[in-house]
Amino acid sequence: MNCIRRAILALDYSMGHHFLSRAAPGHSPWQPEGSCLLQGRSQFPRGFHSSAARLTSDSEQVPMVKPPTVSMKALEPYEDFFEQASGGQRDKTGFSRAVKAFAQRDMRKRGHVDFIYLALRKMPEYGVQHDLAIYNLLLDIFPKEVFVPRNMLQQIFNHYPRQQECGVKVLDQMENYGVMPNKETEFLLLQIFGRKSHPMLKYLRLIYWLPRFKNINPFPVPRPLPKDPIDLARHGLERIAADLSARVTVYQMPRPEDLGANPSQPHIVGIQSPDQQAALAQHNPARPVFVEGPFPLWLRDQCLYYHVLRADLLPPEERQEDKEIGPERNFYYPMQLDSDLDQGPWDDYEFDVDEVEEGPVFAMCMAGAHDQATLAKWIQGLQITNPALANIPVVFRLGAVGGELQLSEHQEGQGQHTREQEEQVSLKEEEKEPSQTQIQHQGQS
Amino acid sequence: MALLHKLLNGTNFPKLCRVQDAARCFLLGPVFAGCPSRLYSSIKKTEAASGRSSPEGKTQSSLEKHTKGEVGLDLISPMEKVEIIFDKAIKAEIKDHFKLLAKELVDCWRGPEGRPLYEGLLENTRVMWQFRSDEDLDKWLVTSDRTIGGKSKAFLKMASNNQSALFYGILNTELPRDGVTQQSGYCAMTSRIPRGAFERKKYYDWSSFNTLYLRVRGDGRPWMVNIKTDTDLIQKNQHLHSYFMFTRGGPYWQEVKIPFSKFFFSSKGRIQDNQQQLLKDRISSIGFTLADKVNGPFYLELDFIGVFHDPTHTEEFAYENSKKIFGNR
Repeated sequence: MNCIRRAILALDYSMGHHFLSRAAPGHSPWQPEGSCLLQGRSQFPRGFHSSAARLTSDSEQVPMVKPPTVSMKALEPYEDFFEQASGGQRDKTGFSRAVKAFAQRDMRKRGHVDFIYLALRKMPEYGVQHDLAIYNLLLDIFPKEVFVPRNMLQQIFNHYPRQQECGVKVLDQMENYGVMPNKETEFLLLQIFGRKSHPMLKYLRLIYWLPRFKNINPFPVPRPLPKDPIDLARHGLERIAADLSARVTVYQMPRPEDLGANPSQPHIVGIQSPDQQAALAQHNPARPVFVEGPFPLWLRDQCLYYHVLRADLLPPEERQEDKEIGPERNFYYPMQLDSDLDQGPWDDYEFDVDEVEEGPVFAMCMAGAHDQATLAKWIQGLQITNPALANIPVVFRLGAVGGELQLSEHQEGQGQHTREQEEQVSLKEEEKEPSQTQIQHQGQS
Repeated sequence: MALLHKLLNGTNFPKLCRVQDAARCFLLGPVFAGCPSRLYSSIKKTEAASGRSSPEGKTQSSLEKHTKGEVGLDLISPMEKVEIIFDKAIKAEIKDHFKLLAKELVDCWRGPEGRPLYEGLLENTRVMWQFRSDEDLDKWLVTSDRTIGGKSKAFLKMASNNQSALFYGILNTELPRDGVTQQSGYCAMTSRIPRGAFERKKYYDWSSFNTLYLRVRGDGRPWMVNIKTDTDLIQKNQHLHSYFMFTRGGPYWQEVKIPFSKFFFSSKGRIQDNQQQLLKDRISSIGFTLADKVNGPFYLELDFIGVFHDPTHTEEFAYENSKKIFGNR
């Protein structure tokens, strides 16, 4: 009997002290009675129940921090709250209103980690992913001075790891979108996580690396990109022309109602440099020039398409050598220098490769539509400044938007497709011959 | 392997026929999958030869069929009457390797990298890779996020004028549905690691140059240039030195010069705190990566890749180790 009682006692201990204190308030389990065993057994389920109930109530009080779920379809906690608090506005004011509403909702900031993960995911939707003030606002949700380690041990072991992870995630998204943190960010992180913490380390790394790569793009793209298609085309053309003397001409302005998908009068913007103009004037009228395109040009996340006016490479027998500059061209100083006076065999800085030879480019344009009628208008406009173009046959070699690149979707029949397209192009060329003559006639008349 | 095949192919043991079939199926299946094209050609040749052979061959094959019918095993019959001349293929392979080895040994006598010493001392420029024919494309590997389940596509081929390589495709940042991956969308081309005789790893020595030179034509997208150094340690195979290459776009060729001092050190795609210089005398491969998080088609046309010595550039390394970061670690 004694040993059974001890066994029950041991079981009791393993269940936890609260069973002893709560489950049998009337009887002491130490009672040396025969009924003790039975009673004790009957009280086990009650003990289980009470402890289970306590566990659930505990979980309500301390919010469980869930790791961020990857699936976009799952309904997130606070998603409804976010929608309501933003008031249906999908912009910066709506976003900051929702974040502020959460910050003021509860003094204890219950569930703030979940909310921050949700807000980070919602940022591109609201178009605020490049806004530093919003990131600072998000960091401001964290309660201050709670997660700061207070002694050496806390510092060594990861103090409040979920919250630190969340803070690092905010900074990681800033890094991904190229947003530079400022002093306010540093101050907030100091208040929330302290000096020696993972978010602070991440902040230091951002501060170190982002300024080094901020301005390394030699072809800078303005942020935000211009909304007007003409301004955008002007910027793109100036970028690809790579010539400061090149002049942009707007050949056709769009009608205000034509800014939609299928404009009846699309914009046509062209660019030509004086050198190109001179080259076109010297072009042999017996050889045709080609309008090729559309070719893609990416300005950050926007794709523009441009067309070029170019000629084929001249066969070697027809190439004119550069006119030799005779000594009589200038009496005062020599036009050519014999420059290999001080050069040894170690001064050779030329790469030993065959040059890629391509035909000259005479002009480039960007238009709202990529069809032949629009581009014919561009050629007409070019004829005003380039009278020689009226005598040169123009062949349109137009592909689909994306051209070669779209073919890659049908990987299997790639060879066939290219062949087909070539045939189509050649057919098009034949068809287009009369229209060119029309254009020429128009230009001449 | 050749011995084994001789054993298998022995026609002196008609009772061993089914063993032979089974062995062909299981033993030679993987060999077929991995063998070089040279082996295939020899197979074809032998097939043709056996087709023209005397009726003895036919009787032999009919005998084999007969035995198969008797046995009634569920074996997928391999190519019948196929004789693979392993001897020939292996001999040719070994011969090539020995030729390469002999060349390497002779080159050692001639000078560093098989050229006279004065040439190496005087050269300021060197063309490392150029794209003039389809053989040049074999030196490159194309990878994309398909390896992790993404949806990008990338292809490499010669451009229409056959004087440059065109790397094109479609970038897609759609995540693979594995529930783990957080970011996706990259396309890359990487040069193959140079190999010497008997598939020994080799490396390039660029210690007399200080700038990378690229002649490219792009579509305005930013690229990343990655240089991998050859190290014998297993742990270092994720290490890269990278820098960015911005393309102008448009119909004109563009010359990109990147000093080696600008390349920063990263491991598994994360910039490291402990920055170290690129080891210029142990370059293993170079790569171009596109991962600018913009969905859509892209192209990059490459004329050639070279290295040269820029006497005006004296910088050793552009990045110092930050005391602030190290103090906080």
